[in-house]
Amino acid sequence: MKSCSLPTVTERAQPWLGTLVSIRVEGLPASDAHPAISAAFQEIEQIDRLMSFHRSESDVSRLNRDGSVRRIPVDARTLTVLQQAIALSQRTSGCFDVTIGAELVSWGWLPQPVGANALTGGTWRDVEIHRDHTVSLRRPVWIDFGGIAKGYAVDRAIECLRAQGIARAVVNAGGDIRVLGQECEPIAVGVEVFAESIPIIELADGSIASSGRSCQRDIPERVCGPHVDGLSRRPISRERFVCVLAESCMIADALTKVVMAMGSGSRPILGEFGAAAHLWDASTGWQSLNPAMECP
Amino acid sequence: MRCRFTLLPIAALILPGGPAYGTVYLSIQQAQALLFPGATFQSETRTLSDDQVKAIEHASGVPVRNHQVKAWRVSTGGWFLVDEVVGKHEFIPFAVALDRDGAVKGIEILEYREAYGGQVREQPWLEQFYGKRPGAKLRLNKEVRNISGATLSCKHITDGISRLLATYEVVLAPNGH
Repeated sequence: MKSCSLPTVTERAQPWLGTLVSIRVEGLPASDAHPAISAAFQEIEQIDRLMSFHRSESDVSRLNRDGSVRRIPVDARTLTVLQQAIALSQRTSGCFDVTIGAELVSWGWLPQPVGANALTGGTWRDVEIHRDHTVSLRRPVWIDFGGIAKGYAVDRAIECLRAQGIARAVVNAGGDIRVLGQECEPIAVGVEVFAESIPIIELADGSIASSGRSCQRDIPERVCGPHVDGLSRRPISRERFVCVLAESCMIADALTKVVMAMGSGSRPILGEFGAAAHLWDASTGWQSLNPAMECP
Repeated sequence: MRCRFTLLPIAALILPGGPAYGTVYLSIQQAQALLFPGATFQSETRTLSDDQVKAIEHASGVPVRNHQVKAWRVSTGGWFLVDEVVGKHEFIPFAVALDRDGAVKGIEILEYREAYGGQVREQPWLEQFYGKRPGAKLRLNKEVRNISGATLSCKHITDGISRLLATYEVVLAPNGH
């Protein structure tokens, strides 16, 4: 028999990673939930300090500044994200590519690093990871983890909560969301894009990330959204909205860029990563790619 | 991982005058206890003079909208400040803890309220998803508390923190910690 008492819910939000991050823990008294949430936020703060393009002393900024001159030692977490990013670049022939920093700077989505000259050229193939856990660049490139680090931070926060014995939690970093526990969590998707019908995704024990654009008339194409096809180095111009579902939020986050660029052609890649996607396209409407199991 | 995808028609679901999407995270007292455990707080609300407003705007590069500064002196050293910034459409109140040197030691968002999208801006809509309206097809036993795929920048919060740090330098620091 179900208990009639309301579940205890503790939720907090802090600004990290250029967005608002919220953490909700259920089923614990607030006095126990708060230290767990604080620890999870500390982990997210660490990811922000290691991986922000905007912080001059982050691993990413040190690599962008000096990686073509010498090997840069980086934190194991930075290495994990970089390895995953490169694996995705290999699998997608460069459609997903974290070395698009130069394009994002030139289009005004990221600030030009202090003292640096504008860059052109360079791809993920110029990033070299060494056995001693240092990283170097074969030529100057600007790495930006904006398409993957939020998801990773969500994964780390969830792991932190799980390690503290928490069975039910939701972490949301600006729409990159992971649900811990078997109970389905309803999530509204694309509320700014769709005028008539809003998708609701009910999700248990997994992650969702969404990406999309619906360009208003009169807005220059390049400022519609920071979506770059890593291969063509051009903004993704199609009117699309995608939400990707995967166990890992880092994978879901990164794969949104792949599905944005490749559309239904990304189906086999989604399958390889155990992911599913819902894709909206101006011409075809909604379609599901590799639909995952349904909530009961 | 399990998931289910449902399209909810907005037109069928909007009720007039419902509240916007929103979450209350912490009360001021709860934020105080989290940011300064075990401390006591003495309220020292200040009203900024025009010269102070100018100095704060000059130092932070952020306009000062509210001339009232909500500040608490902390028994264990430092300050607890509450301010709000404008999000897309609504105010977002937040708390900042400063240590005895005026450095940020913690930030907590107190409440988040937003309406989303052109159509829903006028008629806040998320309340609909609780199945209150007859004919709503979706069976949801939980409220929708998370949104994916809406642009959510914290630039305005970063600006608000810059403004509070300048306020500390101009108004609070000269009077001792």
